[in-house]
Amino acid sequence: MIHRLEVTLQDGEGALLRVLGTTERRGFRVLAMHAEVGADALCRVELTLEGTRDAELLGRQLARLHEVRTAAIRASS
Amino acid sequence: MADSGRIETSIRSGAQWLVAALEAEGVDTIFGYPGGAIMPVYDALVDSALRHILVRHEQAAALAADGYARASGRIGVCLATSGPGATNLLTGIANAYLDSVPLLAITGQVASGLMGTDAFQEVDIFGMSLPVVKHSFIVRRTEDVAAVVHEACAIARSGRPGPVLIDLPKDVAQSRAAARPAQRHRAPAPVMPDAAALATAVALLARSERPLLYIGGGVGIACAEAALRDFVARTGMPSVCTLKALGAVDAASPHNLGMLGMHGSQAANHAVQSCDLLLVVGARFDDRATGKLDTFAPGARVIHIDADAAEIGKLRAVDIGLAGALALALAALAQPLHIDPWRKHCAVLHELYRSRYDAPGDAIYAPALLRDLSIAAGAQALVSCDVGQHQMWVAQHWQIPAIRAHLTSGGLGAMGYGVPAALGAQLAQPQACVICVSGDGSIMMNIQELATLRRYAIPVKILLLDNACLGMVRQWQELFFAERYSEVDLSDNPDFVALAQAFGIEAFGIERRDQVPAAIRRLLNTAGPVLCHVRIDPRANVWPLVPPGKSNGEMMGAAA
Repeated sequence: MIHRLEVTLQDGEGALLRVLGTTERRGFRVLAMHAEVGADALCRVELTLEGTRDAELLGRQLARLHEVRTAAIRASS
Repeated sequence: MADSGRIETSIRSGAQWLVAALEAEGVDTIFGYPGGAIMPVYDALVDSALRHILVRHEQAAALAADGYARASGRIGVCLATSGPGATNLLTGIANAYLDSVPLLAITGQVASGLMGTDAFQEVDIFGMSLPVVKHSFIVRRTEDVAAVVHEACAIARSGRPGPVLIDLPKDVAQSRAAARPAQRHRAPAPVMPDAAALATAVALLARSERPLLYIGGGVGIACAEAALRDFVARTGMPSVCTLKALGAVDAASPHNLGMLGMHGSQAANHAVQSCDLLLVVGARFDDRATGKLDTFAPGARVIHIDADAAEIGKLRAVDIGLAGALALALAALAQPLHIDPWRKHCAVLHELYRSRYDAPGDAIYAPALLRDLSIAAGAQALVSCDVGQHQMWVAQHWQIPAIRAHLTSGGLGAMGYGVPAALGAQLAQPQACVICVSGDGSIMMNIQELATLRRYAIPVKILLLDNACLGMVRQWQELFFAERYSEVDLSDNPDFVALAQAFGIEAFGIERRDQVPAAIRRLLNTAGPVLCHVRIDPRANVWPLVPPGKSNGEMMGAAA
């Protein structure tokens, strides 16, 4: 399945690595990514993922990372 | 988190700020090993009240800090230099990650200008440790050091605990600055699980005819043992435990069926397979507990309580997920249950599959020795295990009075855990009797820590079960690889009694069953560190056993 995931995280050293590492280690392939740090020092990441595991569970696994403020599945197909 | 408004106007080095921040966090003991990049911190330790325990290998520093944390309930702290010092910590960090232990690992790093240049003793420990830490920092400015220490400690302790790494470049440790104001980190208030889900769970529990508690190590982490025991008393609900939850409920109760899973009791596994409702508390459906997952508790609906929402539904779909404080959820669910036939059935299973200790012959029967030693040591004793057959025998036969009394490498299964963890536990609880149960394979992984026991006169009692082989691997090769034994022979082991004595540790050996009572007395009555070497049958196996990939209903063998 293909999933579109939006993650908001506090910008900081290693934050993006943590999100990508968790995503891949939990069984998803990153097909596309866009990340941008805003003036509020929050980094907004849009990920397009491929995987057979539960994407909602991935969202909860990302949400427990210290820097992550929100992690939500926007679409699955 | 709120800014405390505290402004530190004094000028100190980064290393001094680090040490001062640890002291302010209530840390009294740290485990470490010095080297080039961490030398500024070791210099600051000279003027500190912190007790530094010099181990003989950095892996032992992390594992001792883990043992200290588990035995004390406080954060464990370990310290190492850059490069090999840092990489040697990794096994201990991973151990703390998989068992959710609050650990602070501090590593020296080469100076900022050298980072990324493949400098001497430079590794990217921040990057290497990412998958096995709860969080991590590279401190880039001296003024941030103290604030980072406070934040790291708060993260390590809060919610589901875990290891946090601080990588400290040498120039940041050496240069001097005022500290930026630290933030005050308050422990988050306990979260009551969703009220509607709780109400549904109460109703589901009331309708169940065969409910079973599946208790995990999260109960101990959440300090919810009292709430759990109260729940059991009010409901009379039968229970099974994971390896890390042993001691959570009264071991003598006929409704406590013991450990489930690969080397669990047959009573526990049968009860799981026949229950109609599984109430999972602080457990995570680990593969060693569930066996073949899609045949685990096949007729059961599932209510899962966990502090970590990401554990709910991870491996087994649940009917009701309750994310939040375990104690609050248990109190809300407690109710009298009308399940007498099921209780009687579980009591029959408990009696039917009770362990037996009447093995024939004169050779030492390890399960009986462990049971007798645990009874003689008493309810205040702590036991630390290494990994292998002896670890499972301890789980099956040691009388464990509380979760914190049993230190075991559950998630990582790290051979070499036992001695350093016992060392750390003994320093956390100096009045306790701390016993390390090890094997001849495991003890050699951190044998050098006998020197640490000797240096600080740490009175750990080591029971070394020696079957002259890697017993658990040998057992699997016997049963699942057609007796094709491959690299498991350790018959050329050193003379462990002489080896311990060479470290300055009192040691003695036994090899017959009639020597056991006197050996137990000597072990427990020796004031300082002592090692008892026990020769056991290399052919002894751990029973029962669920073959890998099989259902828990397909157990092999029976308790001898």
